[in-house]
Amino acid sequence: MADLGRAALVTAFLLLAYASVAGTAAAWHRRRRLAESAQNALLAAFGATAVATVVLLVALGRHDFSFSYVADHTSRELPLGYTLTAFWGGQEGSLLLWLFVLCAYSVLAVLTARRAGRETLAWVVPTLGFVGTFFAFMLTFVASPFASQVAPADGAGLNPSLQNPYMAIHPPMLYLGYVGLTVPFAFAMGALLARRTDERWIVATRRWTLAAWAFLGVGQLLGAHWAYVEIGWGGYYAWDPVENAALMPWLAATAFLHSVMIQEKRGMLKVWNVLLVVLAFCLSLFGTFLTRSGIIQSIHSFTQSSIGPWFLGFICLVTAASLTLVFLRLPLLRAQTRLESLVSREATFLYNNLLLVALALTILWGVVYPLLSEAVTGEASTVSKPYYNFFLHTFGLPLLLLMGIGPLVAWRRASLRALGRTFLWPLGAAVAGGIALLLAGAGSSRVGVIAYTFSIFVLASIALEFARGTSARRALGGVGWAGAFSSLIARNRRRYGGYVVHAAVVLLAIGIAGSSAYQTVREQRLHPGDEMTVAGNRLVFRGFQTTNESNHRAIRANVDVYHGGEYLGRYRPGKNQYFAEDQVSNEVSIRHDLLTGGDLFLIADQVNGDGSVDLKALQKPLVNLIWLAGLVFIGGSLITLWPDAREERRLAERYEGATVRA
Amino acid sequence: MPGKRSPARLIVALSVAAVLAVFLIYTSLAGGTPSLQPSQLRGHDGRVSLVGIVAGRPAGDAHAGGLRFQLRDRHAMTSVPVVYKGTVPDLFKTGREVVVDGKLRNGVFVAVPDTLVTKCPSKYTPKK
Amino acid sequence: MSVALLAGALLAIAAVVLVAVPFLREPVAADDHLIQPDAAEQRRLALAEERDRALAALKELEFDHRTGKVSDDDYRELVGVLRRRAAETLRAVG
Repeated sequence: MADLGRAALVTAFLLLAYASVAGTAAAWHRRRRLAESAQNALLAAFGATAVATVVLLVALGRHDFSFSYVADHTSRELPLGYTLTAFWGGQEGSLLLWLFVLCAYSVLAVLTARRAGRETLAWVVPTLGFVGTFFAFMLTFVASPFASQVAPADGAGLNPSLQNPYMAIHPPMLYLGYVGLTVPFAFAMGALLARRTDERWIVATRRWTLAAWAFLGVGQLLGAHWAYVEIGWGGYYAWDPVENAALMPWLAATAFLHSVMIQEKRGMLKVWNVLLVVLAFCLSLFGTFLTRSGIIQSIHSFTQSSIGPWFLGFICLVTAASLTLVFLRLPLLRAQTRLESLVSREATFLYNNLLLVALALTILWGVVYPLLSEAVTGEASTVSKPYYNFFLHTFGLPLLLLMGIGPLVAWRRASLRALGRTFLWPLGAAVAGGIALLLAGAGSSRVGVIAYTFSIFVLASIALEFARGTSARRALGGVGWAGAFSSLIARNRRRYGGYVVHAAVVLLAIGIAGSSAYQTVREQRLHPGDEMTVAGNRLVFRGFQTTNESNHRAIRANVDVYHGGEYLGRYRPGKNQYFAEDQVSNEVSIRHDLLTGGDLFLIADQVNGDGSVDLKALQKPLVNLIWLAGLVFIGGSLITLWPDAREERRLAERYEGATVRA
Repeated sequence: MPGKRSPARLIVALSVAAVLAVFLIYTSLAGGTPSLQPSQLRGHDGRVSLVGIVAGRPAGDAHAGGLRFQLRDRHAMTSVPVVYKGTVPDLFKTGREVVVDGKLRNGVFVAVPDTLVTKCPSKYTPKK
Repeated sequence: MSVALLAGALLAIAAVVLVAVPFLREPVAADDHLIQPDAAEQRRLALAEERDRALAALKELEFDHRTGKVSDDDYRELVGVLRRRAAETLRAVG
């Protein structure tokens, strides 16, 4: 069976290589049949990759330990769900997942890309093929998931902290995002190679970019949630290189999503957009490289792997090639209009872009700093939380504010008097809110108050946008309030879906500010009967309880929680000792307060031989807003992605009108 | 129209300059924390990030008097005694590679509380 | 595993066939040229995009005015310019 897997990968590699070479030749010499053949090769590669994927899945499902990969990442007692999701549990499998998603996306892109134009498509095929060839090469020659061995009696098993539903779904979500950024990149390169000067490639890839960006965002939130409940140190983001690896392309993609709107509406920023999509794609490759090569020492790093140098080489090649292409096509990318006013929606989008890219680059710098400092001074130097927090505040807070300003400003040139009027209510709400917060004692954290005040401003401005839009729609006559509201959103999906996404980001900001700037942490050694207080909650330790499960022993500290005089319940933080893996995992206990959105987070930091526990308790206000934000984010993205019949018709007329005419 | 000096270009240039300025100020003032192995500790008085492998048997209580253990180089036997207070990661044990911040004082590395972090062994691969 | 061998062989054959299909279907192609929009077509496309942009800008201006982001004076100033631009582009596209 492993032979079939290997054969399928070799087939995929040859097909993708053919798609790249033949596709390039076909586009260059304008040969229709060769171009179709290259396209078919791409489709066939999906089939081959699918076969390889099925082979690995079947091997996992059957506990076939003659596959080294299966033996290394699963064991007999592992539940079926986690056995199958161990597919992406290791390096080789996750590379196969990358390739599978890439091929699937390639097929989808090619089959639905009528609007992009056949000459652009002729270049998109070899571009996608080239990226696929690299991954297929790695899988066939460098890191094969189908290495065989003499089957041991049982496998090594999966790290217990990875046996968690969030961790199971987190990688495919992220990959749908990472790999998804390849499509806009390929179309951008395709358009440049085909010497197109129009916006077709943007229109064709708008939904791709949006979907990839949404998946990347959701994937990160899933990862953060896993870190929060499973690793359980009380936080959700540690600025670990592996976490940053996903954040950087997401920031670049956010910038790109905004700047393409400017190009669509005003024909500006063409060079910037192309550079941004190259940056986003290269960051996504870099992100995959970071997590897979162990080159940056991080708490998630693994042994130096063989794929590191290859990846680095590929990233350098892609960066150099795309930048060269952009440089060569610079004359084609001249803007048709200029920025008319520094106070216009275009300008705010530009500021937003600059801030996002600045944040992404400072994070990148922080990530590679140890490598660079070691190369230059011989001594590795690391940066940590203070560095990242500084730049998050410096760039993130203005970004937050801009989210509120942008919608209130008109395109082209905003009238200052009109601006004053539209700003009045949100500004008033923010000032009032800020004063109220200061009176309530939020002044303990300057950054927290600023974040909260800005958030109020943004939420108010979004609410106002919905209100004004609905009333304007209603004033046109014929519909009541509800009808006007739904018609408003239906006719302006992108704008109002975008506002919903902004609201999600604001919720995220509030959740992060509350749970980091205003959290309370207490730690105490408690003997049975002792108690400690954290943020008005009284925690009484009653003693330990140990139970034996099938594959681990569970030690739990029974803690009764009281607030005021009221008994809130018994919470049981503790540890699990896994027999087979000889590992201890932290099992936290969290009390969600649905009314205030905060959490009481209990960690049994140390279980002591004398029956006492070192208990760490954190009170994290508003932290559940972060997860709520994820749901709102999904909703907003769906609204924005939803097909609009009227717009489809208009675009069809614009791009296919030629064929109809001719 | 195209090619004329537009405000957009000016904004971009000014912003880049501003970012660089902020950036250089920060890094020159705060800088990074050197990441050293035990054999490289000599001569460093300030706060550093010590990377090494736990050798011997750890003793003591991280939540009471302090956890004491030896940290040695990855590929040599030079080791330094470490005193640590705070949260100890679950994966901490002899033979594991760890990182901890602190200062060298009188031959003993006094750690900053709650900065002990383990590097996961090769088997552990968080999915991505 | 002979099943695996058979499956592998089938996969390889299918791959080769798929890749060869365009040539098998038309051994001698009447027109093997890949459609490339000529200069006239590129211009038409650019004009169509201009037209859509102008119309969208007009619609946005109306909306912004109705929701109070653009004052009456500014509206009066801009609407004439935009309407003329839109009319121009409509004429150019034909």
